[in-house]
Amino acid sequence: MQRIIIENLSKNFRIGFAKNQSVLERFYSFFSGKEPQKTICALDNVCLKVDSGEILGIIGKNGSGKSTLLRVIAGIYKYDAGKLETSGKIVSLINLYIGLSLRLNMKDNIFLTSSLLGMGQEDIKKSFDSIVEFSGLKEFTETKLYQFSMGMLQRLVFSIAIHANPEILLLDEIFEVGDEDFRQKSGNKIVELVKKGASVVLVSHDMEMIKRHCNRVILMDKGKIIINNGYA
Amino acid sequence: MTFQKIKSVLGLSWQIAKAGFKLRNEGSYLGIFWYLLNPILMFTLLFFVFFDRLGSNISQYALYLLMGVIMFNFFQSSTLDSSKVIKENNYLIKSVNFPRESLVFSGVIRNLLSHFFEVVLFFVLALFFKVSLIGIIWYFFILIFFVFFVAGFSLILCCLELFFYDIDNIWNFAVRILWLATPIFYAIEGQTRLFYANLLNPLYYFVSISRDLVIYNKMPELYLVVGSLLFGIGFLLVGLFVFNKLKGKFAELV
Repeated sequence: MQRIIIENLSKNFRIGFAKNQSVLERFYSFFSGKEPQKTICALDNVCLKVDSGEILGIIGKNGSGKSTLLRVIAGIYKYDAGKLETSGKIVSLINLYIGLSLRLNMKDNIFLTSSLLGMGQEDIKKSFDSIVEFSGLKEFTETKLYQFSMGMLQRLVFSIAIHANPEILLLDEIFEVGDEDFRQKSGNKIVELVKKGASVVLVSHDMEMIKRHCNRVILMDKGKIIINNGYA
Repeated sequence: MTFQKIKSVLGLSWQIAKAGFKLRNEGSYLGIFWYLLNPILMFTLLFFVFFDRLGSNISQYALYLLMGVIMFNFFQSSTLDSSKVIKENNYLIKSVNFPRESLVFSGVIRNLLSHFFEVVLFFVLALFFKVSLIGIIWYFFILIFFVFFVAGFSLILCCLELFFYDIDNIWNFAVRILWLATPIFYAIEGQTRLFYANLLNPLYYFVSISRDLVIYNKMPELYLVVGSLLFGIGFLLVGLFVFNKLKGKFAELV
């Protein structure tokens, strides 16, 4: 079963298209007409298939289109041309800003972030103990997150994401987080998810990590897939 | 939109609203006091300044004024929140694909929660002035359409933020003008030009109909009822339509 099917997919960004303009600037731009626009092709005719039970690694230089591809698969960006089909629940961990509120405690954040990742209230209640247990932060459930270290935040986010029952898990540089024990534990959890039929797409610059975990690697450059069948 | 989808959007909105409510209170029930402080101060100030002049010909001026203040306060807080919601959540929008409407609806729900405290305040004042409290039941029916209007308006304002980065500043200014133009602390009777201008002001309909039913226990005029229904449903439908058209661009433009 194929979880992701991408055919001839393209995504363009209008660079120079002056976003974040104020009202006065907009009027000025409208009448002056001085708004140079350039279109860059972030994804150019991309074709890709990801099977159920596969861990796919994506590597490439900065600006090669890796994160854009993840966002398109996640449905965060709309694509301009081509075809994209996904099958199963998508959970994306593209950065740590997935709804964490630093002034709220860990318990409230688990409820908030899990809801944003598409979990219902009953599911969250059922998974709550397991999320806390997995994160290894049991004694901090009532602590506000601004008192957490970056490592603790990463562990919390990762624990929430893998308990959101992903069938397609998209990870952008957030995989091996925390200490050695947690890395081992999260690696095992990913293997468990994949064995159950989930697919994982992992973007990273860390070749060692890609080699350790991925069944297949693709190399991207300037929005194109240069190597599609690289086995790690 | 299926029932399941509506349920999940509202469920998420409620979770975000709850988190926002807790954030505002910072775990203390004293936080609720802050919700009431603004309308109480505004009401007290206006009451003492205008009671003898603008309010002298208005029956039950204190209740007339408080009703206007709390309804406008709900509209103002919800729309001001929505005018900056995209800016404040730009990282989240770029990271997770969730129903974007929830961000706007959560603001409306959060302000609705504080509005309930203000309604209790109104209730207490009505008891003090020995006004029949039967009419307050009507308010909850009016509130449904008022919430539709506020939610629809907030959705439109949130979309404008995509194109005008400082829309929150502009709206902050515009809402002050609207505050003066809406008959909140004065009566509109006898001011023909202002009356015609207010026929285009949805707030006029909702505030007038609420005063008629809740304070004066009388049937409002038909045009007020029709106007409230049309503005309520119309704004919600237009807001949802515009939002659905543009929400796909949020992640790219913020």
